[in-house]
Amino acid sequence: MSQPSCQDLHPVEEILERYPREEASLIQVLQDVHRAYNYLPCDVLIKVAEVLDVPLAKVFSVSTFYKAFSLKPQGKTIIKVCTGTACHIRGAGQLVEEVQRLLSIGPDETTPDMGFTLKTVNCVGACAMAPVLIVGEKYHGNAKPAKMPKLLGQEGKTHAH
Amino acid sequence: MRIDSRARFEEAVAACRRAAEGRKIEVLVCCGTGCLANGSQAVAEAFQKEVEARNLPASVGLFTKKTGCHGFCERGPLVVIQPEGILYTKVKPEHAGEILEKAAEGGGAVSKLLYKDPATKKAVEKYGDVPFYKNQTRVAMRNIGKVDPADLDDALAHGAYAGLVQALFDLTPEKVIEEIERSGLRGRGGAGFQTARKWKAARKAKGERKFVLCNGDEGDPGAFKDRSIMEGDPHSVLEGMVIGAFAIGAHEGYIYVRDEYPLAVVHLTLAIEQARRRGLLGENILGTGFDFDVKISRGGGAFVCGESSALMRSIEGKTGEPRQKYVHATDRGVFDCPTVLNNVETWADVGAILHKGGDWFASMGTAKSKGTKAFSLVGKVKNTGLIELPMGTTLRHIIFDIGGGILGDRPFKAVQTGGPSGGCLPESHLDYPVDYEKLTEAGSMMGSGGMIVMDDRTCMVDVARYFLSFLMEESCGKCVPCREGLKQMKAIFDGLVAGRGVPGDIGRIERLAEGMQLGSLCELGKSAPNPVLSTLRYFRDEYMAHAEGKACPAGICRDLTAYEIIAEACNGCGSCARACPADAITGEKKALHVIHQGRCISCGACYTVCPTDAVRFFPKRELAAVQETGGAS
Amino acid sequence: MITLTVNGKNVKVPEGTRLLDAIRCAGFEVPTLCDHPALEPWGGCRMCLVDVTRTEWDGWCKMVVSCMFPAEEGLLVLTDTERVRSTRRVVIDLLLARCPDTPLIQQMAAKHGLERTTYEPNPAPTDCILCGLCTRVCDHIGVSAISSVNRGAGREIAPPFHEAPPDCIGCLACAEICPTSCIPYETSDSRRSIWGKEFEMVRCARCGRAHITRDEAAHFSDRTGVPSAYFDLCDACKRTDMARQFVKLSEGAGTAP
Repeated sequence: MSQPSCQDLHPVEEILERYPREEASLIQVLQDVHRAYNYLPCDVLIKVAEVLDVPLAKVFSVSTFYKAFSLKPQGKTIIKVCTGTACHIRGAGQLVEEVQRLLSIGPDETTPDMGFTLKTVNCVGACAMAPVLIVGEKYHGNAKPAKMPKLLGQEGKTHAH
Repeated sequence: MRIDSRARFEEAVAACRRAAEGRKIEVLVCCGTGCLANGSQAVAEAFQKEVEARNLPASVGLFTKKTGCHGFCERGPLVVIQPEGILYTKVKPEHAGEILEKAAEGGGAVSKLLYKDPATKKAVEKYGDVPFYKNQTRVAMRNIGKVDPADLDDALAHGAYAGLVQALFDLTPEKVIEEIERSGLRGRGGAGFQTARKWKAARKAKGERKFVLCNGDEGDPGAFKDRSIMEGDPHSVLEGMVIGAFAIGAHEGYIYVRDEYPLAVVHLTLAIEQARRRGLLGENILGTGFDFDVKISRGGGAFVCGESSALMRSIEGKTGEPRQKYVHATDRGVFDCPTVLNNVETWADVGAILHKGGDWFASMGTAKSKGTKAFSLVGKVKNTGLIELPMGTTLRHIIFDIGGGILGDRPFKAVQTGGPSGGCLPESHLDYPVDYEKLTEAGSMMGSGGMIVMDDRTCMVDVARYFLSFLMEESCGKCVPCREGLKQMKAIFDGLVAGRGVPGDIGRIERLAEGMQLGSLCELGKSAPNPVLSTLRYFRDEYMAHAEGKACPAGICRDLTAYEIIAEACNGCGSCARACPADAITGEKKALHVIHQGRCISCGACYTVCPTDAVRFFPKRELAAVQETGGAS
Repeated sequence: MITLTVNGKNVKVPEGTRLLDAIRCAGFEVPTLCDHPALEPWGGCRMCLVDVTRTEWDGWCKMVVSCMFPAEEGLLVLTDTERVRSTRRVVIDLLLARCPDTPLIQQMAAKHGLERTTYEPNPAPTDCILCGLCTRVCDHIGVSAISSVNRGAGREIAPPFHEAPPDCIGCLACAEICPTSCIPYETSDSRRSIWGKEFEMVRCARCGRAHITRDEAAHFSDRTGVPSAYFDLCDACKRTDMARQFVKLSEGAGTAP
């Protein structure tokens, strides 16, 4: 595979122990794997295919179908800008532009130091607080471009809200 | 601990209520995702710390509780003091002390934190008097904001599972379905299919294994009622599902929760564990011998998985590709077994219907749309949040009486309902009642209840393009009309907003729309043209302006719009220059400010912040003329 | 047996027949792109759309894909209404935009009155019409080496990680079933390669022709229980042997076996 085959397989093996060994477990397993590795590495997917007895091609198909999964390593902190309708009309586009200005990354891109990844996400259901920005696990409602530098610096200091 | 008979259930509820009596003063802190985003976690913690610090005797009975979404998100973080019913808005952690003082005194409130009615300019003390809440009828959301979603005892004290008890002990499965039929309940996820009809078909279907599923995918941007129900009152969903399973003869179920709702997963998981331990879920429910259990299935981030057949594929571990539904899911659904899939709100209504009776539910609403409906009212409206109202309420009442009118008192332009499958309705339709048939007839649809209010600073062509963009990302790509059609439709719109449109575009859009409606495999593709067709129907002149006039009447499309400062109105405050992200405005303090067209990106930030209406927008093609006549730039 | 009417003509078919076959039984034809007699119908191309109605529907029709819709007693089928034709035209027009240089699509578009697409042609034309036949046949034979990847406009057919698929057995079923022949492969007596994977060939013990890949032989052996020695001879040589047997048997007819 084009990625180095040096992933520690202990986390995925432990995850696979928790689920029935069948196709129906695939998406739940991939979510736990994605959380553990911060993306879906090739050889981990090969292991999943083997243990769940699902063809590798189908595992790959599922991995690329769902937006929750990245097959590339992601930054330590994921910045999510909600692009739901309410957020769109209340300026989500400007939030994305501001991140681009500050960190020189566009949607689905990661800063060279692997610090931040920017993602535009579907409606997160906090529409009354539009526009919504999520930095790591923390939700920020009524986000404004001017507040962005502070919000990005704060992540890591406070735990999930 | 395990409740294994009706008598034990009644004893347990009585015990929970007695325990609740000891809580003479309850401080309910809203911890729905919206208020959490505004810092309510810290507020809840501050209250808890204050209560501990005071070391009050138990007889005072001061109790703080974290609840689900109260709905009035605009004013959060929200705190309600019961039994007085006092509502506090925009509460900060440092307010906890004084609120508790007033509460313990038993009379009066901290006036600076009360809701002020913009119409009367007076403070409103009680929750029940605030217009936002006064006009609501909460059925599906009956306990949200009242119960701690992490506490089954609290839910029991507030009536949870009372409907289930009636179903299991007083009725047969057929009689349960009859009750649902009497209620007139229709699917609350969007399609509005008769719930009883679906259950009947699944009951009749042949199969050893049957399933009940909960659609918690709530993909419509702008809708968050399902999130609030799953987070704020998970037991209402579980109760409904057990009743449904009993009615059709299923013993297994899944709650499909979209990936973007992690808190809902947490609360549902906890609720399931607690319900199992108490004998309300799992084997031998309430000692009746009926078995039913649920698993949670998390989505992977795909709007198409809100479509029932795609959702079922996703539960099976596959990609969310819908299947042609010539064979109904009630015969062959998930794992090829008879399946009933219902929306979160539908399940939440079921328990109430079984408890209070189908006739009670049917006494509300219109002739064909019975009962109540939850809506998320968002966008350019003053009071954004979550509401539940009887069907038949008019859009005007919702937007202006409950919503408080348009933000900034700007002119109302349109309200979008039904998400990406719905449409935009203009001012002429404000007196339309919220009703499945009426909304569809007007070119929109009920959808899951998202209601997005738009003002004059909204370009309807841009709105249609936004939805096309969204659907293009979400299309599974299996069928040609949707996959290729959305791409081509969006390309036409990209041209329209960039000034490359031609009059023939509108005809092309209409022909392609028809092809997509008739040819697509599933509702995503079939209803994708709706936002386009409804905006074309009511705002055709705006399309013509883009296609022929190369102008954006609302001043939103950046390639078609330029801004300038009107000399006579400018007071030199500099707000525009500070707001400008492109450093395109210069001016001395108290002197005329100027927009440098070469740097201006037409974002409109200056227009939004100017306190003297000194910024105007105009079609970019007039820019040359403006410059020639030595205009403001 | 059930009776239905296609374009005014009555036709009797066994229960469980799909509409496309009933239409053909009645002597009419409907265009298809993603349908294949050996595979389960898929309903992705939408070319086989037809209008159906019933007398009690008072003229209300619904459009269904005939490859999947079950024939029903009393169904009235119209394969050529105005809206059927215009919808098929939109579909082929969209495909022509995606695949402007593909002969099959150009021909089908011409039959629907289109010389060129009315939409934006694909700046990077492809021959792949995403009919799914390749992945479906691969699933059908129990290999599942390739699959559809991504979703929406970015959807494509690819092996896992866009690299040589570990499960591929080199049977060429995908390439052969592809209606636009857009899956490239090379095959000779010494080697076969497809999807970036190289295969060792089994040469016939009799004539020396390379007739199957080792992986394919192993796969079918495993799957059917047939001993791998079965693949020592190519099909042609096996047939020659069998023919000789028949000749022997017919010559010796009358004699005890």
